[in-house]
Amino acid sequence: MLTRRRFIGYTALTSASLAYRPLLLPGMAQTPRDTSRPPVRLAVIGNAYQYGSNLQSIVDRFLVGYPIEGDWHMPSVQVVSMYIEPKRRAQVAVPIAPRPSAARGAAQESEGVTLAQSAQLAARTGGGGGAGGGARAAAAERAPEHDGPPGPMDDLSAGRSQEFGFRLCANIPEALRCGGDHLAVDAVLSIVEQGNYPRNHKDQILYPRYDYFQQCVQVFQDEGRAVPYFNYNSLSFSFNEAKDMVATSEKLKFPMLAGSALPVTWRLPDTDIPLGAQIQEAVMVGFGGIDSGDFDALEAMQSMMERRKGGETGVKAVQFLEGDDVWAAGESGRWSKELLSSAQSRSDAPQGLTVMDGRPQDMVAAGVLPQLVKDPAAYCIEYTDGTRATLLMLNGADQDFTFSARVAGQGLIATQFFNSPMPNLTFTAALASKIEHLFTTRSAPYPVERTLLTSGVLESCLTSREHGNQRLETPHLCVKYQPPAESQYART
Amino acid sequence: MAQDAISSKRPQIAVLANIYKTRLHTQHIVDRILDGYGWGGVYRHPQMDVVSIFVEQRGEGDLVPERAQRHPGMQVYSTTAEALTRGTGKLAVDGVVYIGEQGDYPRNEKGQTEYPRYRFFEEIVGVFRASGRSVPVYVDKHLSYRWDWAKDMVDTSRKMGFPLMAGSSAPVTWRIPSVELPLGATVREAVCVAFGAVDSYDIHALETIQCMVERRKGGETGVEWVQAYRGDNFWKAHEQGVWSQKLFKAGLCRSHTVTPAREGFSNVYPTLRQLRELAPDAVAYHYQHTDGLRCTMMLLNGLLQDRNFAAEIQGQLEPFSTQMYCSRPLENATLENYFAPLVYLIEQMMLTGKEPYPVERTLLTTGLVCAGIDSLFQGQPRLQTPQLDIHYQPAASTMRRT
Repeated sequence: MLTRRRFIGYTALTSASLAYRPLLLPGMAQTPRDTSRPPVRLAVIGNAYQYGSNLQSIVDRFLVGYPIEGDWHMPSVQVVSMYIEPKRRAQVAVPIAPRPSAARGAAQESEGVTLAQSAQLAARTGGGGGAGGGARAAAAERAPEHDGPPGPMDDLSAGRSQEFGFRLCANIPEALRCGGDHLAVDAVLSIVEQGNYPRNHKDQILYPRYDYFQQCVQVFQDEGRAVPYFNYNSLSFSFNEAKDMVATSEKLKFPMLAGSALPVTWRLPDTDIPLGAQIQEAVMVGFGGIDSGDFDALEAMQSMMERRKGGETGVKAVQFLEGDDVWAAGESGRWSKELLSSAQSRSDAPQGLTVMDGRPQDMVAAGVLPQLVKDPAAYCIEYTDGTRATLLMLNGADQDFTFSARVAGQGLIATQFFNSPMPNLTFTAALASKIEHLFTTRSAPYPVERTLLTSGVLESCLTSREHGNQRLETPHLCVKYQPPAESQYART
Repeated sequence: MAQDAISSKRPQIAVLANIYKTRLHTQHIVDRILDGYGWGGVYRHPQMDVVSIFVEQRGEGDLVPERAQRHPGMQVYSTTAEALTRGTGKLAVDGVVYIGEQGDYPRNEKGQTEYPRYRFFEEIVGVFRASGRSVPVYVDKHLSYRWDWAKDMVDTSRKMGFPLMAGSSAPVTWRIPSVELPLGATVREAVCVAFGAVDSYDIHALETIQCMVERRKGGETGVEWVQAYRGDNFWKAHEQGVWSQKLFKAGLCRSHTVTPAREGFSNVYPTLRQLRELAPDAVAYHYQHTDGLRCTMMLLNGLLQDRNFAAEIQGQLEPFSTQMYCSRPLENATLENYFAPLVYLIEQMMLTGKEPYPVERTLLTTGLVCAGIDSLFQGQPRLQTPQLDIHYQPAASTMRRT
């Protein structure tokens, strides 16, 4: 039956197809793009278009659409150009050169680290985990990055370029200019992760996110015009670089959004910290590796904490704990065992006896955590306003991300950040809708300062770790911002 | 003495089960009563005790010895009557939990597994009658593979005046998004886009629909006819618009597990041709309620692995849709937490003596399964269902929120 709605749909498709070849592709015909206005022209810059990667999961959503609010949505965004690191596309195993401009101290120390060495490091420190981490781990399993010849799923960029008619570029400025002389895109999407980048002495992976950003900024400055920018995951391993990125976006007046999908995924239950509530203490439980799943977990926790009374006022000190010190800190009340038990009560993925015979377990009450978790880590955070929050990375206990806070007058508020299953990884659809919002409205749905502070907290925790797990004053993390009044996670 | 006073208030429960092994229904339900479970942001230990258990099929992998050792208050018996009377000669428990799902039982010519739910129920009721007293009974999942037996179970509970709870976990688990169908809404059409086998997962998908549409204007009025569609018939009906393609799409867009139709893509919406290729043996039970509402339950193995509901509601431009979320071991999940709300509601029934929702819901879905399977068995004709003239009003919403 040709309903009016469907008729309008077909009409729109016909006219749109004249202008945009990708709209003719199978699978899209049922949900044409909104053609009432020209689509946002998007440049994608990244380092690996590998099946199972977050880049693939997120960028594909701008090519073939994504499920949102019970419909298949074609964003009003058209990928017009893409830059993927040539060395990744070529899959050649060579030592990574020192970082060119933004390298500074950290990278110099990693000079000469080969891909093979860094792969060993990565393996030692744990693969991934989490909204994104799960994808990383799965992708790594499916397509070992530098063992044996590359497979067809290792680099999808050429195939996608041909199919969807966007320009595959040799460098970032070319991508932003679409091969012409002037800035020819309306937005930039940067996803730099995976790949065997070296780690520095703090175990941070030296992803060149700042370099990518700087190259874009150079074009913006040359052109006297800047466009919205999304940076996937942490802004940089260096808080100074991250801070510079945010300051630059303010100076050049372009909206910027960053972060992982975990803060915006579904929650089980669908709950948030009431805006302006007084959080007495919070515990987040995560899994994954250093500078990997921990970032996603810290950012998800921050998306809760920022809603407390007074908004975000920054972090005054952090301390990284590991091994038996983590359990001792729980015994001494440094973090709350009650909140850990509460967070874990939200887990759908406990390990140990549950894996063996399916039983539920209160691991805190049973006292089994020290046996299950060989390498526990605690990221203890003291906010400027005195609030305390702790991320416990408990590989071996749970394989999901859960949170609990004691809130004055409200009791416990506990939830799970839903890490939706492979292969759909629908949490990236929630993130894609936020990115689309940034691109189409030129306003960020939540402050990039959340990601700035999280990037800095992670770096400082790893500095504490490097310094023998000393408590570290962090006056530089005086990042102040107000959260969006309306919750931004997936709930409709 | 004070301790006795407290313990005497805790309902004493008899568990009856076909089989008690890892990752089977009995394990999910009884373990939560014995060991507690996450609920409301804490580990909840139910205010009731399993004092006796009878499991019909033991053998390799049987969890009864380990569970009984850790929970010495739970005595193991070898018949239903013994578990209910505990050596006293008459009913000696405050409630019965019967998990008649899984285990090795014969299949009939229609492909139904002949789980002994009715036989167990008769045994339970036999003890009630002999004791002159009855207590609340929980029957897991559907009531019986035979309509007349299911009807008799409900009639008997009504006649004898004991609360009877049954049904799937789908109506009470998390929803993604966390939404409830507006009470009293005029529902034009409803579908469930789901997966699994006939005679095992069809009931879950039907309960998904029924827990929603029973909230429509006027409440439940029964079902007039049922017709099954399978394979080519299914896809022909889909193309002809026998059910709403828009609702099908809305349901599918709530899924987290759509099989990618194209290699190298992780989440694409399939074309019609791809849908057919992915789920060539799709099954539907398409049925009409006596007030005119049409519903379609679809099992699309190969296309997805979750259960999604969509309905057209008068006054709403876009379909109302959600997923009944079940944490299955697809990615990381190890704990089938969709049993948690069932256990919580069983506890509430045992404490209050009130059914958390009308057992008529499960009577109707049991009847729909029987009619759907009959239609499949007879070559997919439309079958009139005067026996499904079931009327009831919905209870307060029991979907999981905490």
